[in-house]
Amino acid sequence: MQTRPPLELFHAARGLDRIVQQAIEQFLFYEAALLDAHSLHEWFALLADDIRYVMPIRTTRSVRDDAQQYSGPRDLAYFDESKDSIGLRIRRLYTGSAWSEEPRSRTRHFVSNIRIAPLEISGEYEATSAFLLYRNRAESQTDLFAGERIDTLRCIDSPAGFELVQRRVLIDQSTLLANNISFFF
Amino acid sequence: MPTCAPLHPAVPGIADLFDDANGTISPLIYSDPALYELELERVFARSWLMVAHEGHLPEPGNFFVSYMAEDPVIVVRQKDGSVKVLLNQCRHRGMKLCRTDAGKAAGFICSYHGWAYDLAGKLINVPLQKRSFQALDKSQWNVRQARVEIYKGFIFATWNADARPIAEYLGDAAYYLDCLLERSPAGYEPLGGVYKWRIPCNWKFAAEQFASDMYHGIFSHSSPQMAMKMDGPMPNVAEFEGGQFRSANGHGTGFYLTDLQWPVRVGQSGEHVPGFDPAAPLARVTERLGSDRARMTAQHMTVFPTFSMLSTFDTFRVWHPRGPDEIEVWAFAMVDKAAGEAEREQARLSVLRTFAPSGTWEQDDGENWVEIQRVLRGSEARKTILNAQMGMGEAKDVNPNFPGAIWNPYAEESARGFYAHWQKLMLDDRPVTPLTSAEARHAD
Repeated sequence: MQTRPPLELFHAARGLDRIVQQAIEQFLFYEAALLDAHSLHEWFALLADDIRYVMPIRTTRSVRDDAQQYSGPRDLAYFDESKDSIGLRIRRLYTGSAWSEEPRSRTRHFVSNIRIAPLEISGEYEATSAFLLYRNRAESQTDLFAGERIDTLRCIDSPAGFELVQRRVLIDQSTLLANNISFFF
Repeated sequence: MPTCAPLHPAVPGIADLFDDANGTISPLIYSDPALYELELERVFARSWLMVAHEGHLPEPGNFFVSYMAEDPVIVVRQKDGSVKVLLNQCRHRGMKLCRTDAGKAAGFICSYHGWAYDLAGKLINVPLQKRSFQALDKSQWNVRQARVEIYKGFIFATWNADARPIAEYLGDAAYYLDCLLERSPAGYEPLGGVYKWRIPCNWKFAAEQFASDMYHGIFSHSSPQMAMKMDGPMPNVAEFEGGQFRSANGHGTGFYLTDLQWPVRVGQSGEHVPGFDPAAPLARVTERLGSDRARMTAQHMTVFPTFSMLSTFDTFRVWHPRGPDEIEVWAFAMVDKAAGEAEREQARLSVLRTFAPSGTWEQDDGENWVEIQRVLRGSEARKTILNAQMGMGEAKDVNPNFPGAIWNPYAEESARGFYAHWQKLMLDDRPVTPLTSAEARHAD
């Protein structure tokens, strides 16, 4: 699912400053590295105070009903988070008894196919990327998740240069082929 | 198929797999493939299985694809408003008839050779019938349909012609199910969205835990309780008052009595939805059910065999079995129709952040059951008898508001009832009476 026609994105990207392009890509790679290193407090610091982090449920629908394949804003979702609720999730992970991550999973976030378009608000960009997330835990449990992330990034005066304002995670599975989701996308 | 006889010269028979009087379980019940095949016939085919909520099918033609154990079914709203449950299998070559999760249809056309059925499962068109299927009597080749009964919005189905009506099947547990379903005068409706995910564990770990296991909450789920910020002092759950109930029909439930349902929901959401008053819903329920039943908190329950729920967060789920060592969880959540926007949003956020595969509570359950199942690959581990003796011999009927309950939420009374009923069904070697075509016609 794309938020706008690819051709329009292509034109937007052609007009994009290469320095902005590189800065946003580096931000996304840095953020992924923090998640894989379990540096969750540092990752949390990259989130805007008004962040909305959403991952809808996906279902199998007929082509005619394509528009209904994702759960909506008043429905259930894997994630529908504010900064406070992400904070609660992170506090839980540091209690020492969050058994789904004690011992920790080994994860690797692969982020690619990055397309960037400036938004109407000055200094805000939409970055769409593909992800592949590998998780291995305990002795042999291995899970693989693929999908798309549609992010809104805001340029700020900080070492990372941006903060994450919105993330919409669209997973390419209807029945989740894993026993849980104990990490962030 | 083995019955009372040993499954294998080296392993015990079904009668020895669970000892109700001593509270002991053989872990073979969680791992043995032959027992699993027998369960499909003797447990699942005999029982009423919850397949969908009426709210999933608001209009005629709406369908919701579901499962009865491993059998795929289509739950479909008829033109007259009734609900049918059709086996999702074409009568020609057995192809899956409906290949999407939900939607609206005028009928179902098989994608293999184009056999077409109406919403009631009646075969209405066979391509090339005049040329190549001249003797075909279409009326004999309708899609098979299960018996259906609806209990307070939940749609149950069975293949068992002899199954008692659902109210009798629920029996002594109906009172406790109603404690969950009767809290609002307006009734409940499902929030949109159904979580579906796989856990490599036996179905009985999940079903028994929701029937009986308040105990694990203290330790398995300590982390979200430690991380939560709440107004006022943190409650000590180990000291909560409450009860547990063992049904004669394998169902089980247990609960605390507190005023903390909505403060905990707010705390577990990580945020308080503006305009929501946590005292309001409790006052509403108290007016309807009286103080004791209104104060029931974290009421966990399993309707035998695989329909489970948890009040306070109002999560409802079925543990569809997928072999002896895997389940597919289908979970959704209910919300009070009388709730205003703020209460509805608080309910939505609190359940999706706790009881989803990504939820702060649910994640750790998946971890536990997976690891037990892995341990049971060991032949010594499978021979090691397990303890289910918690709370044996406690007095019943202590609180007149909770008939038949023992007065301790921390017990395995309901677990023993669950396994005793499982064992009774597994030892019963009479064939399940199939639904006849006459009954299917009657259902039309």
